[in-house]
Amino acid sequence: MFRQSPARTLVLLATLAGLAVYASAGGYFAREIVVEIAILAILAISLDVVAGFGGMVSLAHGAMMGLSAYTYAIFSVKLGWPPLPSALMGIGASALFGTAIGWITGRTTGIFFIMATLAFGQMAYTVFFKWRWLGGDDGLGGLSRFDLGWLGIKMGDSLTFAFFALVMVLAVYAAAAWVLRTAFGRTLTGIHTNEDRMRALGVSTVVHRAQALGFSAMLAGVAGIIAAQHILYISPEMLVWTVSGEVLIVVILGGLGTLIGPLLGAVIFVLLKHEISAYTNHWHIVIGILLIATVLSGGRGIYGQVEHWLTRRTQPAGKTAEAPDA
Amino acid sequence: MLEVRKLCKSFGGLQVTRNVSFVLEPGERRVILGPNGAGKTTLFNQLVGTLTPSSGDILVQGRSVMGLSVSARAREGLSRSYQKNNLFEDLSVRENLMLAAAAGQGKARSIWRDSFRDAEVRETVREVAQQVALTDMLDMPVRSASYGSRRQLEVGLALATRPRILLMDEPTSGVGPTMIESFHRLLHSLPRELTVLIIEHDMDLAFDVADRITVLNFGEVVFEGTPDETRGNKVVRDIYLGDWQANA
Repeated sequence: MFRQSPARTLVLLATLAGLAVYASAGGYFAREIVVEIAILAILAISLDVVAGFGGMVSLAHGAMMGLSAYTYAIFSVKLGWPPLPSALMGIGASALFGTAIGWITGRTTGIFFIMATLAFGQMAYTVFFKWRWLGGDDGLGGLSRFDLGWLGIKMGDSLTFAFFALVMVLAVYAAAAWVLRTAFGRTLTGIHTNEDRMRALGVSTVVHRAQALGFSAMLAGVAGIIAAQHILYISPEMLVWTVSGEVLIVVILGGLGTLIGPLLGAVIFVLLKHEISAYTNHWHIVIGILLIATVLSGGRGIYGQVEHWLTRRTQPAGKTAEAPDA
Repeated sequence: MLEVRKLCKSFGGLQVTRNVSFVLEPGERRVILGPNGAGKTTLFNQLVGTLTPSSGDILVQGRSVMGLSVSARAREGLSRSYQKNNLFEDLSVRENLMLAAAAGQGKARSIWRDSFRDAEVRETVREVAQQVALTDMLDMPVRSASYGSRRQLEVGLALATRPRILLMDEPTSGVGPTMIESFHRLLHSLPRELTVLIIEHDMDLAFDVADRITVLNFGEVVFEGTPDETRGNKVVRDIYLGDWQANA
């Protein structure tokens, strides 16, 4: 069962504050990195909701993000809607897409579920890759950011936008943590632990899983809006399955089923990527080694491992109540 | 309360359930007996909905549940326990019962309320824990509980949904004599209005708790009657008790 422990709240706020300081003190490049971290973190948190707590490992989260971004572009660029309602349409489209995937894949689990999500994701990718009206493989530009001028906030400023992205990380984390602590989240964990029994207790597990995937896709849709507004240009590359694979790596690296781990994972992943690329082009090797080390040391992820050590220390030996939060 | 009409199930040429019919009155305790391979579990699975019968009908309170999924049948008040413990292994005893109680009260889906903080859910968990003697173990992780406790929890989960009909698949399988005794007490302590159907091979349990006994052999109902009638019946003796007495 998910628990928003004080340690997790502390790590969440400290990480976000650290990133805010980094964005303020650093230059334009630091702000770009912070936004990149924020987008990846939101995707990772949204994936953790279904993968860590619902046992649904999805390779369609990149596609969900991309669908949201493209829908945003369709409404704001092509149909001339204002940014805010366009963004809501984007997030809604993503949520629908996720619900549909969940509904259709219904009772498939494990590797078959992963393959099904991969197929749906690649289908969405192909659609936007071929769709000339939306620029096809050239992508689409001319997007705009939210206009918060009436609040005295200039979204065009790189620091302001970095702060905006961090606030969205906080909002997405809060939404995920909220839902996981409600009846819906409890039942989702129950389904993850023993779907057969949950069904025998009277829960329509297929519907529940579809709704969970819809909720997760909605959060991924938020990442899509930020990504679209970040560089004001979108391309089908957002939807390609390797993006989803990267998100999955981030979740596992940070700690599957911890919710806060994926945020840390995103920070580490992006910083490592930029630091190591300064020396070598083979930064994937380092991430790969880190991932293997994580999996071989129990698969708890970086945050999960630290939490494991801490609980072992605070509890008397022999009485290690194995209470995983997943 | 529960009616089975001319139920048949074949796997290819093999008829595993042959024309089985019986009626359970509200509050009745019915034990279905039969030697190994008599088709008890197949019949059970058709009742709970994991197997689709070839023909026949199953009615709960006069309404057919044939088209209903496992979960929809559960929502109609049909609750089951498993022959092999089927629990939420990663969670605590309390969390197990909470999930079941919340599902039984239709509180498993809200994204605004926490079912684990719900007063009614907590009250049900407290009562059921007492019923199945797990009050002292509520915070224990299930995977570190003893086999006996897990067996009790298995029944507790089925009870926590507050069913109208409780279906139990060999509830005493694999537990020792002391456990069986406390299990008899548990069955006697169940609310009288609860209808209970138990699949068993343990004769003592059948004679102790059943109002009526149905004997199954080769997928067919070969006898139905009170425990006393069952004891005295020659057919039953031949196919089942003979074997039982030889073993005893």
